[in-house]
Amino acid sequence: MATTVTSSKNVAAIDEERRASLRRKKLRDFFQGLFSHTIINFVGLFFLVPFIWMLVTSVKSDQDVFHTPPRWLPYDNVTVVVNGQSLPLYNVKTEGGVKELALIKIVEGTGTFVDPQHPTQELQYEIQQGTTKIAEPIMHIFFRWRNFPDAMSRGSRPGVGASFWVYFKNSLIIAFFTILGTLLSNTPVAYAFARINFPGRDILFIIVLATLMLPYQVTIIPLYLFFNDYLHWGNTFLPLLIPAFFANAWDVFLLRQFFKTIPEEMCDAARVDGASEWQIFTRIVLPLSVPVLATVTVFTFLYAWNDFTGPLLFLSSPDKFTMALGLRDFQGQRTMVWNQLMAASAMFTIPIIIAFFFAQKTFIQGIKLTGSKE
Amino acid sequence: MAELLEIKELTKRKWNFNTKWSRRTRQNFWLGVLFLSPWFIGFILFTFYPLAASLVYSFSEYHSRKPLVWVGLDNYKTMFTDKLFWVSLWNTLYMVMFAVPITLITSFLCAVLLNLKVTGQSIYRVIYFLPSIVPTVASTLLWLWILNPQAGVMNTLLGHLGINGPNWLSDPNWSKPSLILLGMWGMGSTIIIYLSGLQDVPISLLEAAELDGASWLQRLRYITIPMVSPITLFNLITGMIFMFQYFAQAYVFRGTQGLGSPLNSTLFYSVYLFQTGFQYLKIGYASAMAWVLFLIILGCTILLLKISDRFTYYAG
Repeated sequence: MATTVTSSKNVAAIDEERRASLRRKKLRDFFQGLFSHTIINFVGLFFLVPFIWMLVTSVKSDQDVFHTPPRWLPYDNVTVVVNGQSLPLYNVKTEGGVKELALIKIVEGTGTFVDPQHPTQELQYEIQQGTTKIAEPIMHIFFRWRNFPDAMSRGSRPGVGASFWVYFKNSLIIAFFTILGTLLSNTPVAYAFARINFPGRDILFIIVLATLMLPYQVTIIPLYLFFNDYLHWGNTFLPLLIPAFFANAWDVFLLRQFFKTIPEEMCDAARVDGASEWQIFTRIVLPLSVPVLATVTVFTFLYAWNDFTGPLLFLSSPDKFTMALGLRDFQGQRTMVWNQLMAASAMFTIPIIIAFFFAQKTFIQGIKLTGSKE
Repeated sequence: MAELLEIKELTKRKWNFNTKWSRRTRQNFWLGVLFLSPWFIGFILFTFYPLAASLVYSFSEYHSRKPLVWVGLDNYKTMFTDKLFWVSLWNTLYMVMFAVPITLITSFLCAVLLNLKVTGQSIYRVIYFLPSIVPTVASTLLWLWILNPQAGVMNTLLGHLGINGPNWLSDPNWSKPSLILLGMWGMGSTIIIYLSGLQDVPISLLEAAELDGASWLQRLRYITIPMVSPITLFNLITGMIFMFQYFAQAYVFRGTQGLGSPLNSTLFYSVYLFQTGFQYLKIGYASAMAWVLFLIILGCTILLLKISDRFTYYAG
């Protein structure tokens, strides 16, 4: 240090410099914040807009679905009731100026209209003359919620008795029993691998892990023949449900990893007190494992609800369809009713969204544990 | 990944094949048998038997209800001359080569975005994540609708930017990019995995680098990316396996047309396998294809694990 006394002038200069640097930092932070917000919002649109589009389409009217360019709000004809009939209202250019008339029918480009004020007299106008439109429908923003019950009460193709409500119920039944089977069968297996020290345990566990690497394509053909031709379980839920009651490598692994974190001393103490292995499992280990059981439940639900390949292979008649299968069948039709298709898709998605908002932590935790949703 | 480490761990253990069991050991053995029985029965019925059967089928000509005829390696030889087999393999490799890295990089960048301290961070995380839990069939239908060349929103939005949008699904050159787009919409779980990895990067390390004058990009390049490299490896392997088994999306995406439309551009390996096995009922050939798929997946996984030593960094 050359000087121990700093002049007041210097202090002011340093102070000023410090403030300037602080201002610069603030400015930089502000622009950085603005920049990150812009990007995060822009990318967010990519994830959000398709969702909105699904919902908007699901409440559109039949003709608005194919309106070009697509509109971001659902529009529908304004209708009036004339002679007990609900008719769409049109703006028609007549000799006496533009009039609001209700359309009864169109035959070869000529519309038959009726004036709502004078319902007895029918009027004929061409819809279009050359390129100018004579009659144009009057539209208003209208959310057609009716699409939801309409979509759910119809079948995947005309003339099919079973409706989407039936498919919804089938999906729920399959999901419920898959979850039940998964929880019942995987927990004791995982417990044995985690806590019972029996000969041959390690080699069996290696086999369990090895089956994780096996693509389902290798086993699915013999399984299909086994269930269909040998057991005659074709077109029943059994091929989808029964395997769930026989444990699977993924859940065994997940549960075992969790069971291993439960202090051994607790089990030993119970053993000293004369508890059987089954009692230790049901009274001590299971009650302490609620978080991982929740994870398994949520992910089994996701899997069973989402599954397409299994139902595609084993279920053939519409009264056995799941939502996934019904939607695909609906889409395979010649005429696409996109609004109803999107309404049914939304109905298919809603249970999962609800589950997510109820168990957000479990979802995120489960993904971190398992690495992926598949 | 965890299960691979577990296997490594277990194989290192010393095995004790002592034939004289104590009372305690014998008791434990029977307990183990009891507790394991659900898995063991399931393993024999739903894994071991089908595995053996499919191996036998792959060397046979077999139509269900007709007796099996042993044909040796014929099914495997047929693959070499089957044009559709190579088309399906190429389509699948296309997805592995493009969809997997693109999804990997974009989901990493999204995770970096979501790790920034911005207001409403948790809401953004939910928005980025939600599409990944939409059921496959629903999300595929939604994207079919979005990419509809006439009434779809995608081409309308592109039109606003002065771009003449392609015919997406009905154009053989654009059908696979369409599927990649669909996959990117649902990459939320990959983002979450990356995000948890980013949160594990030691802040002290980043702060030290910042004090030493490293820019944000340099910190990303020399600290963050190496620190999350094990996650990259994990996502790479699972993404690759997923793409080799790609089925439901392609099955739904073709709309009212035949499997693999347009012009076999979405005829992926698993789709062709499904067609061979369940529509043409060539069970022997389909089984052989399944085994080849298994070997390809196994080979690629081992290859990735081997070369991963060069780009992964394990802390501690």
